[in-house]
Amino acid sequence: MKLSQAAAVSVVLAICCAGLRGYQRVADFGFGNDDSPTNIKAEFYWSRLAFATNMQGMNSFGGRGYWWRNAWSRDYPKADRQFLIAMHRLTRIDGRPTEQVVTLDSDEIFNYPWIYAVQVQMWSFTDKEAQRLREYLLKGGFLMVDDFHGTEDWENFMNGMRQVLPDRPVEDLKSGDEIFHTLYDVDDKMQIPGEQWIRTGRTYEKDGYQPKWRAIRDDKGRIMVAICHNMHLGDAWEWADDPNYPEPFASMAFRVGLDYIIYGMTH
Amino acid sequence: MFELLFKYPGPVFSRGHFVLLSAWPAWLLALLITIATVGLAVLTYRQIADAAPKLRNWRVWVLWAMQSAFVALVLLLLWQPAMMVAALTSQQNIIAVVVDSSKSMAIADENGKTREAAALDVLQSGVLGGIQKRFQTRLYRLGGDLTKIEGLGEVQPTDGATNINGGLKKLAEDTADLPVGAVLLLSDGSQNMAEAGGSGIALETLRALGNRRLPVHTIGFGRTEIAHDVEMEGVSVAPSAVVNSRMQAAISFVQHGYAGQTAKIAVRDGDKTIAAREVKLAPNGAMQTEKMFFSAGEAGARSLQFAIEPMAGEENANNNAMTRPVLVSDAKRRILYIEGEPRWEFKFIRRAEDDDPTIQLVSMLRTSENKIYRQGIKDPSELADGFPSRAEDLFGYAGIIVGSVDADYFTPLQRELLREYADRRGGGVLFLGGHTSLSDGGWGASSVSEMFPTFLPAGRNTFHRNAATVELTPEGVDSAIARLLDDPVKNAERWKKLTYLADYQDAGSPKPGAVVLAEMNVGKRKLPLLITQRYGHGRTAILATGGTWRWQMSEPLGDRSHDLFWQQLLRWLVADSPGPVTASASAHTLMDDGNIRLSASVRDAQFQPAVNAHVTAHMMGPGGVDALIDLQLSQDVAGEYSAAWTAEKPGGYLAEVVAQDTGGQKQELGRDTLAFRREDGVAEQFHTEQNRELLQQLSAQTGGRYWKPEDVKDLPQNISYSEAGVAVRTTNELWNMPAVFLLLLGLLVAEWMLRRRWGIV
Repeated sequence: MKLSQAAAVSVVLAICCAGLRGYQRVADFGFGNDDSPTNIKAEFYWSRLAFATNMQGMNSFGGRGYWWRNAWSRDYPKADRQFLIAMHRLTRIDGRPTEQVVTLDSDEIFNYPWIYAVQVQMWSFTDKEAQRLREYLLKGGFLMVDDFHGTEDWENFMNGMRQVLPDRPVEDLKSGDEIFHTLYDVDDKMQIPGEQWIRTGRTYEKDGYQPKWRAIRDDKGRIMVAICHNMHLGDAWEWADDPNYPEPFASMAFRVGLDYIIYGMTH
Repeated sequence: MFELLFKYPGPVFSRGHFVLLSAWPAWLLALLITIATVGLAVLTYRQIADAAPKLRNWRVWVLWAMQSAFVALVLLLLWQPAMMVAALTSQQNIIAVVVDSSKSMAIADENGKTREAAALDVLQSGVLGGIQKRFQTRLYRLGGDLTKIEGLGEVQPTDGATNINGGLKKLAEDTADLPVGAVLLLSDGSQNMAEAGGSGIALETLRALGNRRLPVHTIGFGRTEIAHDVEMEGVSVAPSAVVNSRMQAAISFVQHGYAGQTAKIAVRDGDKTIAAREVKLAPNGAMQTEKMFFSAGEAGARSLQFAIEPMAGEENANNNAMTRPVLVSDAKRRILYIEGEPRWEFKFIRRAEDDDPTIQLVSMLRTSENKIYRQGIKDPSELADGFPSRAEDLFGYAGIIVGSVDADYFTPLQRELLREYADRRGGGVLFLGGHTSLSDGGWGASSVSEMFPTFLPAGRNTFHRNAATVELTPEGVDSAIARLLDDPVKNAERWKKLTYLADYQDAGSPKPGAVVLAEMNVGKRKLPLLITQRYGHGRTAILATGGTWRWQMSEPLGDRSHDLFWQQLLRWLVADSPGPVTASASAHTLMDDGNIRLSASVRDAQFQPAVNAHVTAHMMGPGGVDALIDLQLSQDVAGEYSAAWTAEKPGGYLAEVVAQDTGGQKQELGRDTLAFRREDGVAEQFHTEQNRELLQQLSAQTGGRYWKPEDVKDLPQNISYSEAGVAVRTTNELWNMPAVFLLLLGLLVAEWMLRRRWGIV
């Protein structure tokens, strides 16, 4: 086999593998008419948003860094499943025990009216994707963003957000806001650190010293985007069963997460 | 000719009674006729054998019949037959001459003359003179009321209404002490202000005339059918609505001369056209009814005009429109929505109702086993103890939605209260599909399964999280609930193209009387999606899915299908739910007559009839009309209060009815507002053709006669045969009628001629 042929075969195989992996992560495991035994159907699917990053050239998928491990899939899937266990124990939501990955590539996302995204300082949208996310939110979809820290991350996050909702202001949520009182009354909020707290004892990362509970609302004042800045609730869920991770952080993260889901399902 | 042969005029025979003046008994006449007939027959039979050959067959019996008839007639004359008839005595009776003076009499369809001119011509060309030779006359003009006049010069076709029924009744009452012998009515018969009798003559009026044996002779004017005309026959539209709701009106009309052509029907609010569409006209004379959908618009009292655009060459364009009062309310109706689990349907129903200013959704959502999340509550105490267990707490809501909630979540008392809510209180209950709804929630086996509009299937595996597409049934196409687009065909297509539902549930088969408005396509099966029914005083419905939210998320941004459907469904749910006070009126459009009867049904907090209430109505109308009237408790119906009132001026009126408890606290029980309208002179523009049937019926039922204007020569004489007034009974002997003599002679001559013909003479 010539070197060029081997290279061509390698490229094709690489593309197939990447495609298969992509399909496995975003395939329609939940919604629709698939009645196979592995397809557990439920009212609520924990939907994690997979997005392209703005870190060009690193593990790119379609040339846009789609599968960069440290971006959308941070804490995935353990955080998601730990959270779903708590959700099943503490609410009457009929939720699937496993997570769902959704993308902005297709209209499939409209079947999942609640989505969770992390590392959003790295997200990057094409115009089409931004438009789809804008429509998703204006139709009634809910987006919770988490795990980004400090001034630079905020700016990067807002770069993407301005592409989606150019004119919508971001506001700081007050303790009395309805979103903190749907299932649990969460009045004494704290900064919820990632697992680095176990090693460093610090609750913050980068220059994100203060927790920011923020939101973007629609015309009727309903929260469309709930922003957890300078915090890492995903890690709190993921490390909730680690004896070294403080229980108050994990409990708070669960309560906030459940409040956000109930809010997203009622407003 | 008739009188030449029969000596007396026709009415002597048509109105008189046949009598035999002889002192001999009538039975003797019958006996003698029988004996003579039988005797002749026996005699004839015995002599058949000896008769000429030609007479030994049927011919002999013909001769026998003629001889018998001759003998019978002679015997009858011996008994002195006569006609007894009542006739008015000359100069002692009054003939009431009533001339229709309504505007329709100004129509010039009597050979170029107006109907009024033709009527006056008939009177002045001999009829009135003929009557006045023998009787006194009293002249009246008839419009909305009956007015006595001194001369025909006072008759002008200017009255805005015709009330033949009321006018004749008044005439009978006003002339009770006068020897009125008959009534002569000259009219086109187009009555438009009938009272109890609708468009005819009321039984009460006929009885008043009948008690005095007063015949009404009528002379009809005008054509019985107009060649080119489109006329509104009626408009059926709800007298009240909520802001921006989709209203439905049924417009009925009849046309002559434009069959198959296209006309435009429209709904207008003042100068603004709020709905219009073209229709193809039905065959001549056929009643055509078209539905129109339109938005109720902003809150307030308004007069909506329903019109057909005038056609080319139409003879009467004034009967192409009708006005109806509609009261548009912005009062919020509160709906209680209980949901057993957080789910997307709940969220998107709430969002749809956020855009509806007339509905407030009060929801209680079971977020966890023991937590309920409440939204839309008026104060922290509302629903604090969960689903209401007392009628006064539950019945305050105008509608109830039961989501994915097990039947067992409710206590037996709460379930019974839910049933009573629809049955007795008259509220609307909507059951949604879900994985703990309907059969899967145990409702089929519950004590309240009778309130569901379907026979719920057995078992608990009826809910499936699979896709289902939807389509309307024919009933759904006609329903305002499912109207996403005004055009019915496009609307049906729109439903077929709606994105699929996220899930579906088998709701079973519809019960008798239930209506399936939409169906789901599940594989090759069709399952009912939206089923409604009347239940007791209220209504219940099933929407057998929890997945309409996909219509919001998966249709293009800005598509209103989801929100519109839910707003219309929930408005239907509460539209007929009565409040504690429900005001009603005997009519919402008063035509030329301001008499109206206001009624109010008053209920207490438990929706039991309130019998100790003080009920008042604040009347507001045109020209500063402002009155407060008390409504009195009905002796027949518990909790019903009513009062009569007169709207003196034409225009729009508002009546605000308030009920107050007369007990210790004197608290207000509730209030309701209704709108009505008085229109003067409008009805006269409708049904302008001669109503000959009415005039003929009136004459026939009172013993009078219907006359055509060209046949009135005998009217002055004919009118004198009446039993009313001062009448004498005359005996008119019949033996000397020329016709009798001719008959006798004819029988003899005929017999002789037959004998000659048969060669036996």
